[in-house]
Amino acid sequence: MGAPASAPTPHGPTATAAQPVVIRADKVCKTYRVRGTEAVALEDADLEVCQGEFVSLIGPSGCGKTTLLRLVADLIQPTSGALEVAGKSAAAAREAREYGFVFQAPVLYDWRTVLANVTLPLEIMGFARAERRRRAESLLAMVGLETFHRQYPWQLSGGMQQRVSIARALAFEPKLLLMDEPFGALDEITRETMNHELLRIWGRTGKTVLFVTHSIAEAVFLSSRIVVMTARPGRIQKIIHVDLPYPRSPETRESERFFQLTTEVREALRLGQAAAGVAARGVDGRPGSDGGAGAP
Amino acid sequence: MSRLRRAWPVVAVMLATVALGYPVALLFGLPLARQRMHDLSNWVTATAVAQPVAAVPDGGNILTFDAAPVSGVLVRDGTPLPGGYRQDGGTVRLAAPLARPAVRLGPALQGPVGAAGLLYRLPSPDDATSPLYAGGKLLHEGADPSHERADGRATTFTFDTASGPVAVGDRVLVQGRDYRAKGRQVTFADAPPFNADVRRITGDYAVLDPQQGVVALAGPTATPPRVGRDVVRLAERLRGSVDGTNRTFAFEHAPVVDIDPARRLYVNDRALSSTPERPQERVDGGRTRFTFASSSGLVTVDGRLMTPGGQYTRDGPVVTFAEPPRRNAEVRQYRDYLVRDLRAGTITLAAAPAPGSVVWAATYDYYARPACGTTLMQCFFGMPQHPVPFPNWIAARIVPYFTHYPITDPRNVVRGVLYTAAGTVSALLLGGAFGMLLAVLFVFLRPLEEALLPWVIASQTIPIIALVPVLLLILGNAGITVQTSLIPTALIGAYIAFFPVTVGTVTGLRSVDPLALDLMRSYAASPLQVFVKVRFPAAVPFLFTSLKLGAAAALVGALVAETESNNRLGLGYDIVGQVQAGNVADLWILLVISAALGIGLVALVGTLQRVAAPWDRP
Repeated sequence: MGAPASAPTPHGPTATAAQPVVIRADKVCKTYRVRGTEAVALEDADLEVCQGEFVSLIGPSGCGKTTLLRLVADLIQPTSGALEVAGKSAAAAREAREYGFVFQAPVLYDWRTVLANVTLPLEIMGFARAERRRRAESLLAMVGLETFHRQYPWQLSGGMQQRVSIARALAFEPKLLLMDEPFGALDEITRETMNHELLRIWGRTGKTVLFVTHSIAEAVFLSSRIVVMTARPGRIQKIIHVDLPYPRSPETRESERFFQLTTEVREALRLGQAAAGVAARGVDGRPGSDGGAGAP
Repeated sequence: MSRLRRAWPVVAVMLATVALGYPVALLFGLPLARQRMHDLSNWVTATAVAQPVAAVPDGGNILTFDAAPVSGVLVRDGTPLPGGYRQDGGTVRLAAPLARPAVRLGPALQGPVGAAGLLYRLPSPDDATSPLYAGGKLLHEGADPSHERADGRATTFTFDTASGPVAVGDRVLVQGRDYRAKGRQVTFADAPPFNADVRRITGDYAVLDPQQGVVALAGPTATPPRVGRDVVRLAERLRGSVDGTNRTFAFEHAPVVDIDPARRLYVNDRALSSTPERPQERVDGGRTRFTFASSSGLVTVDGRLMTPGGQYTRDGPVVTFAEPPRRNAEVRQYRDYLVRDLRAGTITLAAAPAPGSVVWAATYDYYARPACGTTLMQCFFGMPQHPVPFPNWIAARIVPYFTHYPITDPRNVVRGVLYTAAGTVSALLLGGAFGMLLAVLFVFLRPLEEALLPWVIASQTIPIIALVPVLLLILGNAGITVQTSLIPTALIGAYIAFFPVTVGTVTGLRSVDPLALDLMRSYAASPLQVFVKVRFPAAVPFLFTSLKLGAAAALVGALVAETESNNRLGLGYDIVGQVQAGNVADLWILLVISAALGIGLVALVGTLQRVAAPWDRP
């Protein structure tokens, strides 16, 4: 589980074999203290993500995917280990506004229109009014919501809200996108559409994406690399290189290689599950009660 | 439109509640009606008088009377006529013709005087109580006073009767020119002067001015009426056997009026004294011997009749009690008689009349009937005030209520509403601003909340009604009075309005989605930016909800402040005034106005909310 075996899959003109490392995690641990007892959320996470990569974190609930993402975002601080984001400490990277974060829920501000929600980070970062508007309009056009500027969030469907949320994360043009199950609450059809859109946006902007998901199919379809994690304690089990060519299309989902990769991910998850079960039994005599990763 | 459509079930339920509840609520007036019916002070008094002969007899031996007692005594000038007559209702058959004529007619009345042609002057003011005869027939006196008191402004008056000429003071007014009559209601062209007697003549005539001897006839007459002098009258014989031992007699009418200076009782031709004698000595609680003016009579202590021989002994005018009466007890001696039972109308004579004597009453007052009517329902519907007034009373009061004072007068209702609204709005602004400030401080300085919150809660446990006078005094000493400024009202309203605003805003500021705060953290936003862009907007719906509560509270505060102000301004002052005046209908109008003001202010806050927070789902 060290550095990736090979360079990320090229997906655009900027993607070359020697990209700088954007995220470097070195034996990062996170322990929560809940009522006197310590719960290990993440143990010895080593990960390197290069610029332009689309890396998915997949694993059962409680495996530390979200913890890792929030550590990268400096929303929480690691208990031990070193974390470097865009060549700085995580805190400095956050202060420098190096990343955009997309949560599982859209987290739109009810009192702002769609347009105003997208311009919010720009307002905070002190962009000029005209520039804010220009960027928000072009981003909303990119996510297909150009006719919804004046609507309030509650007037939009869940998928539309999540697209606004993505547009907002892209508004200040961060090099890094952190996405925490952004499509988890959506139905399968919307989710696949959103997957295509996300890939399209990724292809156009050349961002580095760290993507948390429960869905094996989603992970395989989107990623250039998949980090499979196990629960109790949260650990990186395996890193799978996805060699499906970009740009990917609905036909990609039907290809032989797609099935092989999904199977590989599923196998890795099952292995991790079994190992975790042994570990759990060793501790309290019960098998791990967590369900497996979501089937595609 | 959709808001209206959603409102109709609420309106329907409200109307149904009113339609069902109002008649039930009206019944709260029944105990009051019963009380009015039984309370003698609400009864109409009548006078039992010796009746004059109804028609001038032509020398025959039959006399007729219009109203006769059950058992009558023929009297002339305070002396019963010798026996030998038989009474049958209003007809008396004499065994032998009278020595003198039953009626001797005096001079005719002078007149007519005055414009209406109905006013006459008696030959002498002494004739005010004498019967009048016109064309040999007895005229009946009768006048119906108006329900309303003349206050110098009112022009509409109501009477019990629906016809008859109307007199104001000693003038008879001309219908059509001076007044218009519509059934029992009369509207004057000019308001009658302050405290003038407004009467409707219901009998044949009415004595308008006894001192001047001014009499008004009900209708025009060919020849002026004449005064009847030296008239035989039929007086009331008191019930009770005259057997030489019985001393108890009863009036025909009861209950009898307690203090009745007009009461005239006779035994044969001897007038009985009704005045009680007081002892010459002070009743000091130790003394037992008392001296009275007369050497005989009925002795009472505190209204209880004492028995001679047992409870006291008599030696001429000196009475010696076996037990000394208590200090300051009412020790009285009634020389001739004592009214023993007002309700039953019985008297006890000091001495039993000898057999063959006549015990009779020339005149006395009694309670005829409840002023409100003879049945409970009549009293219920005739009550001048109800705990729950009839709808038509309220309806009748609305226009006068709003037009009573001109708009230039500070006591005008519209100005009162505006004054209260101004007080409430300033209270809400002050309380809202203070409440929000406190909430922001609480959210950002947790220790401050821990230190101050108990005091904030304690402040709301102080009853505002007790606090208001204290605050008014303090502010008044500082030169800030209700007469010159809205500050006292605003402060008092703000005192109770700020609390819901604080609680609501604190809740709102804490209601922010943690992910929304995480997002702001990911933008590396400053605390001020977090407050302005996230926390405060998230609290706005809570703020407006609490402002609605605050508006209702501010109105209560303003009204309470006004009830304890002496500046004659505002609805609160008006409410107290109407309570003191006992104007229940006006109170209900004020209740509706206050409720409408409260609803209006809350609706105003709601409108502001829709303008200021359009994202809040409708």
